[in-house]
Amino acid sequence: MKHSLTFTLAAAGLLASTGATAQQFMTRSAHVDFFSSTPAEDISAITEQASAVLDLASQNIAFQVPIISFHFEKALMEEHFNENYLESEKFPSATFTGNVSGLNTDAAVGQEQPVTATGTLSIHGVDVERTVEGTAVRTAAGWNLEARFDVPTEDHNIPIPKLVRSKIAESISVTLQAELNPR
Amino acid sequence: MKAVAHRFLAIGMLFAAVGACAQDDLLDLLGPVETPDAFVSATFKDTRIINGQSNETPAGGVLHFVIAHRFGQISDGAYALWGLDNASMRMGFDYGITDRLSIGVARNTFQKTYEANLKARLLRQSNTVPLSITGYSAIACNGLRWTEPDRENYFSSRLSYVHQLVIARKVNSKMSLALTPSVVHHNLVSTPQEAHDEYVIGAGGRFKLSQRVSINGEYFLRLNPREAYNNSLSLGVDIETGGHVFQLHVTNSQGMFERAFLTETAGKWLDGNIYFGFNLSRVFTVSER
Repeated sequence: MKHSLTFTLAAAGLLASTGATAQQFMTRSAHVDFFSSTPAEDISAITEQASAVLDLASQNIAFQVPIISFHFEKALMEEHFNENYLESEKFPSATFTGNVSGLNTDAAVGQEQPVTATGTLSIHGVDVERTVEGTAVRTAAGWNLEARFDVPTEDHNIPIPKLVRSKIAESISVTLQAELNPR
Repeated sequence: MKAVAHRFLAIGMLFAAVGACAQDDLLDLLGPVETPDAFVSATFKDTRIINGQSNETPAGGVLHFVIAHRFGQISDGAYALWGLDNASMRMGFDYGITDRLSIGVARNTFQKTYEANLKARLLRQSNTVPLSITGYSAIACNGLRWTEPDRENYFSSRLSYVHQLVIARKVNSKMSLALTPSVVHHNLVSTPQEAHDEYVIGAGGRFKLSQRVSINGEYFLRLNPREAYNNSLSLGVDIETGGHVFQLHVTNSQGMFERAFLTETAGKWLDGNIYFGFNLSRVFTVSER
């Protein structure tokens, strides 16, 4: 009898883990853009090639952004961004891994809810613990996530030479938008 | 008692299964960063290594302006401020029609030469392609007055041509190398014995000392040389500051266009007939992408 209980528990564990995979949502075409604004120059770049995954059971979340996929209006800016600032050959991606709090998984479709993600933001090989506010909306198929936050270049060991300091903001404004579908 | 232990073990496994979906595994789930269409960027900082072409072209919609000077021979000594009194200049404009194709015009003090050129990236190094190949073709027109205006002179006698392939590889983020097979065609040569076509092979490279500074070197070996001239050897430093690239160098070639430095280098390093000079480039984004 006791043995059968053990088996039941193990079987339940198996079922639970199967259920957990069904509750993962992801995308490989999330939108990330950033914006640097100074009186001298506005600089912006966009990628649509970010990946994101949300595990509903654990409410864990992960983002991965290929640095080289960012596109700038000016080609030289893109080259300098990859070569001199983000060093994309050495550090090919920026990532965020963390946990979402405040997410009501039973929310109605289309209902916007404020959420907070706490975790590690890794850019240029430097990890920084961050808490980021955003919104989550349940869609027919999955989840829409949006967030906007600032990244001080100094935090991630990205030095800005004196000569161009008037053109590059000390803190870069980042916006991300991900439409997640069942995995 | 043993059964209880089993039960705890099973519960433990259940939690482990949930724990396995932890944050880092989520990242693993996303897999390695995939950007299949990404070309290697900035094999060289500028369109030239020193005198010779690099594999780089201006990006589409970008106007690349270069002003270059070669001063007089350093062996002229203090009287001529080691050559600084006598400058030879080249002004060049290159425009990127696309990211892979550019056209350019230039004017040189040396023999009052006008140039027109075409440069195309035929192959670009990427995750799957090991090297870049860029083709460069230029026509040069000598602008000097005829030395014997009374005789019948042909316009075609003013012209010379160069065709090159720049085979380059960015070995790592610091080091890039290039091999440049070239052919130079002179429409007019001084004696009937002289060849109209000269073959030259060049090798060049750069090594980055820091994010924005690199040391560069290049050598051009003439395969069917004319006695009066020497092979070209140049050493220099690239300094990048935002939209400008400064290239400072010493070279035994005073001419700054291909025919001149590939086949008519007069200076000898060992005799101190070397020239200090610089290229200063600036890019202007004419049409944004």
